[in-house]
Amino acid sequence: MIRFLLVFPLFILMSCEEIPIVIADPVIPDSEKVVLIEELTGASCPNCPKGSAAIENILTKFPGRVSVVGIHGEFLSNPTSKSKYDFRNPKAKSLESWFQPWFGKPSASINRVKDENDMIMIDIPELWQAAVENELLKAHQMNLLLDTKFDEITRKLDLEIAAIPLTDLEGSYNISIFLTESDIIDAQSNGAVIIDAYNHKHVLRDMMTKFDGDNFGSALKKDAIIKKNYTYTLPINPNGLWNPKKMEVVVMISRAMPNDVSVVQTAFKKVEK
Amino acid sequence: MITGQEKGVFSGAFETNANVFIRDSSINTPNTPQYDRQFFGGEAWLNVNYAIQGFTIGARFDMFNNSNLRNPTDSYSGIGIGRWFVQKTIDKLELSAGYLYDQIGSGLIFRAFETRPLFIDNALYGARVKYSLSENWNIMGFAGKQKNAFDTYTGNIKGLRSEGFISLGSEDTPLTLAPGIGFINRTISDENMAGVVDALRTYLDEDRFSPKHNTYLSTIYNTLTYRGFSLYTEVALKSKDIFYNPFAIKSEIVGSTIGKLEQKSGSVLYGSLSYAKGNLGVTAEAKRTKNFNFRIDPNQRLLRGLVNYLTPLNRQNTYRLTSRYSPAAQDISEMAYALDVRYKFSKAWSIGVNYSDITTLEGDRLFQELFTEVIYKHKRKWQLTSGIQFLTYNQEIYEIKSEVPLVKTITPYVDFLYRYSPTKALRTEIQYMQTKQDFGSWLFGLAEFSIAPKWSFEASGMYNIKPKKANSKGQIEKTFYPTLGVVFFNDAQRYSLRYVKQVEGIVCSGGICRLEPAFSGFRFAMNTTF
Repeated sequence: MIRFLLVFPLFILMSCEEIPIVIADPVIPDSEKVVLIEELTGASCPNCPKGSAAIENILTKFPGRVSVVGIHGEFLSNPTSKSKYDFRNPKAKSLESWFQPWFGKPSASINRVKDENDMIMIDIPELWQAAVENELLKAHQMNLLLDTKFDEITRKLDLEIAAIPLTDLEGSYNISIFLTESDIIDAQSNGAVIIDAYNHKHVLRDMMTKFDGDNFGSALKKDAIIKKNYTYTLPINPNGLWNPKKMEVVVMISRAMPNDVSVVQTAFKKVEK
Repeated sequence: MITGQEKGVFSGAFETNANVFIRDSSINTPNTPQYDRQFFGGEAWLNVNYAIQGFTIGARFDMFNNSNLRNPTDSYSGIGIGRWFVQKTIDKLELSAGYLYDQIGSGLIFRAFETRPLFIDNALYGARVKYSLSENWNIMGFAGKQKNAFDTYTGNIKGLRSEGFISLGSEDTPLTLAPGIGFINRTISDENMAGVVDALRTYLDEDRFSPKHNTYLSTIYNTLTYRGFSLYTEVALKSKDIFYNPFAIKSEIVGSTIGKLEQKSGSVLYGSLSYAKGNLGVTAEAKRTKNFNFRIDPNQRLLRGLVNYLTPLNRQNTYRLTSRYSPAAQDISEMAYALDVRYKFSKAWSIGVNYSDITTLEGDRLFQELFTEVIYKHKRKWQLTSGIQFLTYNQEIYEIKSEVPLVKTITPYVDFLYRYSPTKALRTEIQYMQTKQDFGSWLFGLAEFSIAPKWSFEASGMYNIKPKKANSKGQIEKTFYPTLGVVFFNDAQRYSLRYVKQVEGIVCSGGICRLEPAFSGFRFAMNTTF
């Protein structure tokens, strides 16, 4: 009788079969638009390998269309008991604070676009791809060209940037330049265990601008080329970090309006070819 | 309370918290805006209810001002009407609309409730109809959306509940039954389903499933009482539902990660048998939970969007150190048992023993506690309460920390109350937690002097006597966490002001727990009813 009472109403309701949902990918148009993912992560963050896996999937799916910066700030970013390196740095800590509010790690900003709740950070890695696709579906508004020259002796990096707006762009704009390093093998928390030899990618090592960007200009005119030059000297690290062959420079032009800090265009290039 | 013969009954309540945050290098609070730049955070709630001629109307003003309740490491601000409702009783019919609190059974399939310390307010925003079928039987139906701060989630909930009371036996052998049955249907909104589909598109074929909008839950429960015995049983089932399983293995293009969306059915079996006669009281409980995470939106995490409530079986401890490691009810896989025995030898002597044992369904240890309590009352002059707690706590699961061992603690405690006069009393507590894990061993002491009915003064300190964990300065050092406070009572009003320096820990309310960061600063609280 009990089983009947429990199961019968369920049976009636469940007999209404839903029309299956079709799981299909959107068609992404070809363009020069590049999307920036800024991920809040950390060596002591047990869920962060999930974020890294989601990013690698996105990079595989959209080669050349996505650039990544891994921000090891403060929260769960301290080295594990088995770590050799400490990826935290002042710019990463400042950025992590700038991105508030966020609920936990991993969290990621996709082109710094706010959602309906005014949140920039998305704390579910499985939703990052859809956010990237949404950005790739938007109009391409600026070409961003980079040229790098690295001197192995002095370890000086010269960066030349040329931006060409493809339409008139109202408002003010900032430029942020990140230096990231990949293929750093070190410990990483993963659920209940620590992976001893985890491949850390896109680790933010420093920035060539202020953490919240330098002024890039305002009311940008279509086809009016804007050029900028930056230099940076890579420190010598006896532990093998700051390896120019594994480093990348990531440049981002973003809006600098009170309610809109979204990214217009991103470009990336290896420090040493 | 103000009453009038024709104007009805007007009642209300007010509660406020105000925190002043003081940065302290010995506690770890990175990037917390209240410490960095805001320095102040608080909340206030004002309830006003009015009842007249079968009508009850009510509203609640909510204010969050740089509050850290929603996210303990962030700041939340919002002001508005947090709740309103209208209720009318017409003979056997009761109609309600607005933001409603209710539950079915013990809440296994549905509970709309408010827990302010954890920022839980999942009232049902909708309509409810109750009808008394007879003196002992009633039926209730409702539909609506779940509250989300000053908004609502987009999914829909509908439910039915019928409860009754049956008296059997005779006056000498009184046997009563209080059966109930309930059903819930939750429909995921198209907007939320888009999020599920976006996630599933990133899954490899072996992890993908065809998502369904609708989930159906049912529960049947009964309280049987016979003389000193009381037996509560509840069985709840859930049809295939989309939920995030943080322990499931997700395949990736290269390797795998932990945690993914799944679509599975679930169940909870719960039983509680209690016996009370003379000086003896015994309660035994058991609960089996499998895949019973149930949210209004599967994309929500942590305490957000929970529709149901899973009863905790462990003892709800009150002393500072014995409550330091408290387990949150696990909704994916849990097998829990608890036994509580109390016996009063005489007016002076009584004892209590509580044992709880929680594992996963696969047998992995989650939590185990043996708690003893001996109370001696010396006339009305003084009272001594003492005992010891043995505890095992799985920090990996409850706090999601990597490669940390099971926390094992032994905590003896003494609570001594001395009454100098009918109005003046001094209560002291001493607790010592011995552990080699987590932060290491702790010593806690408290002195509370009360002058009834107006004043209470307290001073307490928690000392990390054998530290194991580095503080924010990277040093393993003995740290003292003091609290100084004063409480003032004025009829129904209660005012408290405390200076608090508090280590991070687990904060639980009714079996729902979350990790709470360290705190340093002043806390003012006030509440009253009228």
